[in-house]
Amino acid sequence: MKLQSPERRNFLKALAVSVAALISLGFKRKRLSSEPDDSSPYQWAMVIDQNKCTGCGYCTLACQAHNDVPPEIHWNRVIKAGQVGDREVFLTRPCMHCDHAPCVSVCPVKASYKRADGIVMMDYDRCIGCRYCEVACPYGARAFNWKAFTEENPAVPEWGQPEIPRRPRGVVEKCSFCAHRIDRGLAMGWKPGVAPEATPACVVECPVGARIFGDLNDPQSEVNHYLAAHPHFRLREDMGTEPRVYYLPAQWEEET
Amino acid sequence: MTTAVNTQQTHQSKKPKWLAALLLAGWVLGLLLLIGIGIAAAIQVFWRGLIVTNLTDLVPWGLWITIDLSAIAMSAGAFSLCAAVYLIGLKQYAPVARTATFIGIIGYSMAMLCLLMDVGRPDRFWHGFVYWNTHSVLWEVTMCVGLYFSVLILETMPIIGETDWMQRALPRLSHRLTSIHHLAPVLAFFGLAFSLLHQSSLGATYGVLQARPIWYRPNLSVLFIYSAVLGGISLTIAASMLAARISARAKIDDSLLERLAHFIGWALLGYIYFRFWDMFAMTYTYQPGRAEGLQILTKGSLAFNFWVGEVLLGMLVPVVILLYGRWRKDPTARMIALFLVAAGVIAYRWDVTLVGQLVVLTYLPQEITARYTQYTPSLIELATGAGVIAYGLLAFTFGVRYLNIVNHRSSHKPPVMRSVETGQ
Repeated sequence: MKLQSPERRNFLKALAVSVAALISLGFKRKRLSSEPDDSSPYQWAMVIDQNKCTGCGYCTLACQAHNDVPPEIHWNRVIKAGQVGDREVFLTRPCMHCDHAPCVSVCPVKASYKRADGIVMMDYDRCIGCRYCEVACPYGARAFNWKAFTEENPAVPEWGQPEIPRRPRGVVEKCSFCAHRIDRGLAMGWKPGVAPEATPACVVECPVGARIFGDLNDPQSEVNHYLAAHPHFRLREDMGTEPRVYYLPAQWEEET
Repeated sequence: MTTAVNTQQTHQSKKPKWLAALLLAGWVLGLLLLIGIGIAAAIQVFWRGLIVTNLTDLVPWGLWITIDLSAIAMSAGAFSLCAAVYLIGLKQYAPVARTATFIGIIGYSMAMLCLLMDVGRPDRFWHGFVYWNTHSVLWEVTMCVGLYFSVLILETMPIIGETDWMQRALPRLSHRLTSIHHLAPVLAFFGLAFSLLHQSSLGATYGVLQARPIWYRPNLSVLFIYSAVLGGISLTIAASMLAARISARAKIDDSLLERLAHFIGWALLGYIYFRFWDMFAMTYTYQPGRAEGLQILTKGSLAFNFWVGEVLLGMLVPVVILLYGRWRKDPTARMIALFLVAAGVIAYRWDVTLVGQLVVLTYLPQEITARYTQYTPSLIELATGAGVIAYGLLAFTFGVRYLNIVNHRSSHKPPVMRSVETGQ
């Protein structure tokens, strides 16, 4: 009988209302928007020219060495993407560094986050290894450390020296646009995309210059020149992820 | 032999006492063996890392996630029956809610054991509570599961406090624990809120992923909570009925459970309706990834699980038994039907988890095609999974035997009323 008493009913109602109010207040304070913070003066982007790419895979090897990536994992992948005329076309795929990155939205602990300069970054000390980001990424750009990487890196020293610490077993890892090179380069007064030391290793190593890196905010940057001069596309634009990696499609005309 | 016959005659029971004890001992030992194997396998997981699983970067979630989702779904009887009893006022179901609460705490602890193995860095399990990403449904699930587990612990305290040995050995603590009953309506409110949030968010965990077209739809969150309530209540009734058949310590009120089963029957009919439209709507127009996922479900590697496990045994057979009065009133048929409902929900969790991952979409321009990949759990995954399930069964067995958790027939009135009476 006591259960049905009006006091208890009222108490429960008040409880429900106050909890709802608290929740809505909490959300009002921190807006539920996924607009990325682009407060940095630099907005990094990459252009990959499929006309030039020969599929040699140097970009991957340089990446394996400089980022000390285990041989089972590839931050950067070379994929056969059909033919144009009698020429084989390749598509190399780093992390897309999406402006609306699904991995960033789904990560329960903000171990994946969007930097103000557009780079989607991983905090390997925070990642719990739930692998939700792997399930969410449309580009397969993420890899999990199923085991500890203790062996020697076969890409070192031929393709470069490791510049960042190895990731521990049990975390997800991915391409960072060589953020450590960019940050250090800027601190030294070098221009990323121009000075090799401040540019992603894959871009520096590419023997045919198929990769261009630079600042979208800088009208003089090579990236902006290329994007203005050539037709370009991004991967799975239909999903609205707004990737920061642009491709210049292989064209029949340029062959002749 | 003669002694056995004698005891059987003197005790006037179906089974001689020593045989019952032997069966129980065998059951418990068997479960302990499974738990032992599970622990050995879990040590392998922690020692060597997740390389011992058959999970890959293409299928990063597998058997453990399914056990996890299923255990949480099977626990949904706790919040739904507690809400029915303490918020809606269907007081006659209070003893059943008590059983469901105990099953709930078992289920959530099973899920947490599985998760502990499944995450790459179990030492960082607390990160979800400290580093908030309010955009992430998985963060919301983490918070709600953590908070709801606290609710379940509070709801279970009176069950422990009420036991005879507790009342004898520690009367004051027993009284303390029992008096948590006064909070039952408040706990039921928070239990309802947290459960509605995370049970549906577990579906949304898949449903929000645009990269996986067969998952990407709002229905998943609704279907997840709906099926969880169905499966959770079904398992609670069926497990109570089974316990009452095996153990004299479990007492059920058959007419009460029959009424609840009748409700499940109608709810199942609604579930079939929603599931039908959910599937049917997806068959219109070709969408890369989605169409291939449907192929896997209806003709591919998940077809048997889908048609037999989910549709035939999980929906059609039980809905007939539960809605046809004569069959429903037959306790054996009803019990089997309810177990089938629960099993169908588990089959659903497995199918949903796998179907989205077995289809791999390319991201190449001009050529968005789907490819198939495969996943079969490794022996270590199976062993640890079996260990976790054995733990759940053992906990339920001990609950029936020592905590009096299946006692629907007693004068067990809603606790709030009883404590008010004793207070007067």
